Amino acid sequence: MEEKVMLIDVSKCTACRGCQVACKQWNRLPAEKTQQRGTHQNPPDLTPTTWNLIRYTELPTKNGEMRWLFRKDNCMHCTDPACQRACPVPGCIFKTAEGAIVIDQEKCIGCEYCVNVCPFKIPQFDPATKKVYKCTLCWDRISQGQIPACAKTCAPGAVTFGAKDKMIAQAYARAKTLGGDATVYGDKFVQGTHVVYVLPEKVRMYEKMVVNPSIPVSVYLWKDFLKPLSVLAIGAALVGTFFHYIIKGPKRPEEGGE
Amino acid sequence: MAKPKNLILSSTVFERVVHWVLAGSCLFLFLTGFGLMFHSLSFIANFFPGGFYVMKLLHNIDGIIFGLAFLFALVAWGKDTLYFDEEDKKWFRVMGGYLWEVEKVPEAGKFNAGQKLFFMTLFLFWFIMMGTGIFMWFPIFPPELTRWLYALHALGTVVLGGFLVIHFYLGTYGNPGTFQVMGHGFVTKGWAKKHRAKWLRDVEAGRRSV
Repeated sequence: MEEKVMLIDVSKCTACRGCQVACKQWNRLPAEKTQQRGTHQNPPDLTPTTWNLIRYTELPTKNGEMRWLFRKDNCMHCTDPACQRACPVPGCIFKTAEGAIVIDQEKCIGCEYCVNVCPFKIPQFDPATKKVYKCTLCWDRISQGQIPACAKTCAPGAVTFGAKDKMIAQAYARAKTLGGDATVYGDKFVQGTHVVYVLPEKVRMYEKMVVNPSIPVSVYLWKDFLKPLSVLAIGAALVGTFFHYIIKGPKRPEEGGE
Repeated sequence: MAKPKNLILSSTVFERVVHWVLAGSCLFLFLTGFGLMFHSLSFIANFFPGGFYVMKLLHNIDGIIFGLAFLFALVAWGKDTLYFDEEDKKWFRVMGGYLWEVEKVPEAGKFNAGQKLFFMTLFLFWFIMMGTGIFMWFPIFPPELTRWLYALHALGTVVLGGFLVIHFYLGTYGNPGTFQVMGHGFVTKGWAKKHRAKWLRDVEAGRRSV
């Protein structure tokens, strides 16, 4: 199976939230109590049962008018995922051939390490089930040659899904067409994400969009330095004490002490 | 236990119980912690009904046991360890005679300078491991901070892992006659003269009991 990419062209998004509904429907996620915050963004943030959310940003323009920026937010499906690096349970967070990063809730122990290391703040902990949930890129659909539910339902064609190289080429072509501040977001971070955006505005204009996402330094320090170092420290101590014993020898109390 | 002939009591029942609780809970923390940190050691989780979830829960609960036991350790050994004096500086200059041949090792009280440093380091990392561990268990801080706690907790593994091995060596093979300090608690006078001469004088003069 080849690597796939979901392309989110936010310039085509009408914020109908059909993708939010389709996501809930396919993944059998219940509706939830929410709150009115004076915005159409609903619920206010990703939750254990909302893996896909349209974020609304109100952007005042120079001539006093107001513009709306819409952004579909869901897991970026990193090629080098911090969540998988942090997860203590083997096989709990796994990567599919298409590039989807999936949490196996059967194996999840709710330690929340993934929640705290994700550069995009995607995984959501549910205190009721003590498990973490997030978008699966509809791995159960794409492994069968289908496209993700959100892409399937997107009426204006803002969400598309296909071969990685083809989608990235499309993204750059589209950004060029849009001109101005338009950029492609995703293919350059964490060795390439499997969700790629075309953003007509600067990255920082969009709600909760991370300008230069990367695996946090603390995670490298933890998993790539201190973790192997702990084995080295114990090994060095074992070797050191062994050689101390055979070279310097133990400290014997004086014989015949009363 | 009645006082055996020619032996001298080096640790009270209280000290020995505290040490065994610390030792047991510490080893269990290492076992379960390594099971969580290394996928190659994930078989450790198979020992627990409920697998990783139960292993991590027991790791956390055991952390509390170790944490509380250390408070008793502070009561037991704090006053004899949490300071350095002139003799200790001399002791460090010759590394207690452990690394090269030394004519005369400065006399130690109940604990030598190396043991004091060990206990001080343990005190520091007790604080670090409890402080990070509790907020890894209950992550109430923002992710940007919490992930530094993970790294700090792993740093504790590096330091304490090395210390554990050396501590074990010095308490057994490295210093024959020492292990019984945590067993029945009695040592020979020869041992006491060698390892804690000042303390022996104090005990024999009745200036301290143990």
